[in-house]
Amino acid sequence: MAEKHSFGVTPITCHTWNGDRSQVCLSLNNSDVKIYKKNGQSWAETATLVEHGQRVTSIDWAPQTNRIVTCGADRNAYVWSMVEGKWKPSLVLLRINRSATFVQFSPKENKFAVGSGARLISICYFESENNWWVSKHIKKPIRSTVSCLDWHPNNILLAAGSTDFKARVFSAYIKDVEEKPSPTSWGSKMTFGNLMAEFSNGEGGWVHSVAFSASGDKLAWTGHDSSLSVANAASGQTLNVVKGNFLPLFSTTWVTENSLVVVGFDCVPKLFSLDDRGALTFISDLDQPKEKESQKSSARAIFQSRDQKDTTEIFSYELKTQHQNTITQVSVYSGTRSNCSKFSTSGVDGNIVVWDFKSLEGSIGGLRIK
Amino acid sequence: MILLEFHNRIVEETLGQKFKNALEGGKPDAIDITIADFDGVLYHMSNPNDDKSKVMVSISLKFYKDLQEHGADDLIKREYADFLSSPEEGYSVSLLYDLDKVPANHEEVVKKAGLLKRNCFASVFEKYFEFQAKGESGHKRAIIHYRDDETMYVASQKDRVTVIFSTVFKDNDDVIIGKLFMQEFKEGRRKFNQAPQVLFSHREPPQELQNTDAATGDNIGYITFVLFPRHISATAKDNTINLIHTLRDYLHYHIKCSKAYIHSRMRAKTSAFLKVLNRARPEVDAAKKEKKTISGQTFRAK
Amino acid sequence: MAATLQPYLTAVKNTLTAAMCLQNFESQVVERHNKPEVEVRSSKELLLIPVVISRNEKEKVLIESSINSLRISIAVKQADEIEKILCHKFMRFMMMRAENFVVLRRKPVKGYDISFLITNFHTEQMYKHKLVDFIIHFMEEIDKEISDMKISVNSRARICAEEFLKNF
Repeated sequence: MAEKHSFGVTPITCHTWNGDRSQVCLSLNNSDVKIYKKNGQSWAETATLVEHGQRVTSIDWAPQTNRIVTCGADRNAYVWSMVEGKWKPSLVLLRINRSATFVQFSPKENKFAVGSGARLISICYFESENNWWVSKHIKKPIRSTVSCLDWHPNNILLAAGSTDFKARVFSAYIKDVEEKPSPTSWGSKMTFGNLMAEFSNGEGGWVHSVAFSASGDKLAWTGHDSSLSVANAASGQTLNVVKGNFLPLFSTTWVTENSLVVVGFDCVPKLFSLDDRGALTFISDLDQPKEKESQKSSARAIFQSRDQKDTTEIFSYELKTQHQNTITQVSVYSGTRSNCSKFSTSGVDGNIVVWDFKSLEGSIGGLRIK
Repeated sequence: MILLEFHNRIVEETLGQKFKNALEGGKPDAIDITIADFDGVLYHMSNPNDDKSKVMVSISLKFYKDLQEHGADDLIKREYADFLSSPEEGYSVSLLYDLDKVPANHEEVVKKAGLLKRNCFASVFEKYFEFQAKGESGHKRAIIHYRDDETMYVASQKDRVTVIFSTVFKDNDDVIIGKLFMQEFKEGRRKFNQAPQVLFSHREPPQELQNTDAATGDNIGYITFVLFPRHISATAKDNTINLIHTLRDYLHYHIKCSKAYIHSRMRAKTSAFLKVLNRARPEVDAAKKEKKTISGQTFRAK
Repeated sequence: MAATLQPYLTAVKNTLTAAMCLQNFESQVVERHNKPEVEVRSSKELLLIPVVISRNEKEKVLIESSINSLRISIAVKQADEIEKILCHKFMRFMMMRAENFVVLRRKPVKGYDISFLITNFHTEQMYKHKLVDFIIHFMEEIDKEISDMKISVNSRARICAEEFLKNF
């Protein structure tokens, strides 16, 4: 029901797919960015992008323009483009003095946004006269590290979550490179850096992820207080919050206009839905723990385990879920945010798992994705 | 072997070996060894004037002066009369054995040589035991500075002899373990009626020593033995002396042993904890690792 | 007494599991640095409210958490002087080997006997649920070990005393 791809035991910081999903770009918790190509059932490494001086924090692959943007703890971001079969980096002038935390291309791929520990967001666009990427800053009223970003489908608005417990929507309209935007449900005044909305779910926790729905009317975010919140701009910015007795949620994405897949410290993806009256509810865990077949272990393994761990039960310590540790990212694998058929998750255990809704519906009784 | 030995085994064995060798007609070897014993005591075994047929056993006690006041010389003379020689320089007592003339009772002689230190100590006890036996009282108490900062007091009363040791615990933990031991000494006496009363006081000296220069302090302890006539009768006295003069070392030895034991347990437990922590580490899939044989061939574990 | 141990450990276990949700987080204060926020305490919004779980006056656990690190400090039961020194010795012994233990802090937090510092790097390299198990195992075993050691020392003392007195 789920394809599991293992990339070792080191955490996968983040992963991103190319347009046709034949390649994946990821970072294994260090300063290198690796690109793998699918080769039957296995993955072949095709390129390593080495430019960052410290840990890479975020990667995004623009499907149409086939460019990769990476950012890292060394305060830099690079845009990589394919030139004569090789990935060539170009430095972006972020003008930040703390680590970059999150990067994402805008839907039209002419801009990208970088969040940072300097309590600001850099909106970057290409300046063709100088042939480089320049940036403009959104500073107010962010009071702590920007931990996550998401672009509105209109290419103008940008949602940002921060460790000051707030989720915000800004305008990232750059008048040099684009047409004046038409009003949206979030408002009409869209000068650069204008704060369109600011949300807090009352108690708060660091915001770990933000996501616009396909229509752009709904904004979902997850907090460290084990909450998932959805604000609906189309119905007067009404707020819906679910809290449960699960561990904090780390990443979320919309899979239909009314459903979300959320992952986090529980090592299991969860499905949430907005019902017809607009109430947000928890539907189901998408990974039903199964007893694993007990594996036969060699005498050597038993002795080794005895020696180093003082136990003969070699496999008993594994979790019964696909992911063995925190899941840090979920993204749409095939389909769109309004109609997703497969999604992929990656986590600290070094695995990427691709989940298929069709087979999930088959295996989990009563599960229907609306 | 819980109790400490009263004799010095090295002195005994070395001398015994020499005698045995001489009896078998072997050629005597040169000897020059220095042996340390409890309470800062040193033995020296050597050939005087490089004469291999003679063996000199010397003992150095830092507090021999104190002992002399209480008739140590007489006792030594009594015990070792035939072998006594003038003390070697830097030593308190010297005994000289001639390997050409091995005494008939050589086994006994050897045993006695091993008890040299014990006999030095014995003088004080014997003297005061005698006072008690005769019913004399009012004698000044004997003060023996048997270690640099530890002192032994012996006093006789009409019906008893009290022996008080002051002892210093270098480590604060020793004090607590020491207290624990002494507590057991107190309790143990209930079971063994024939044993003398044992008292322990910490920091302050016991009443008998009040208003003397007896040291006080957090790491000082006093052990008091109250010896009754039945302990110091002619038949029992040797045994009593044997036991009492080793008590201080016995106590410290077992404190150290306890600490060593605790230490080894902690070591074992710590490594057990580490193993539990290791369970948290993910196993690197051995099957995926390529291994090379020494000839350079690669193989994969299956 | 023993009846309260299990709920106590369960409470610690659940709190730890919730507190051990750590992520990699670069310092907001020092450029190009990554420090355990629970130790540097530079931004108060990155710290969670500390939790104290006590079984009784003497046995308690303090759990302090932050965005990228967590500190758990344990006060171990010490009924008398001998338990006190045993505990003190044991903790010192372990802390001197802190580098082997990885998650052990070299100094305990004031008022506690031993502290563990768990950062996101530890939760990345090790299974989180097993780390929690380790702490719980440690808490279970430490009491047992200390009372066992105490009993052994006591019995040694008794045997020594009896042996000595027997000989009179």
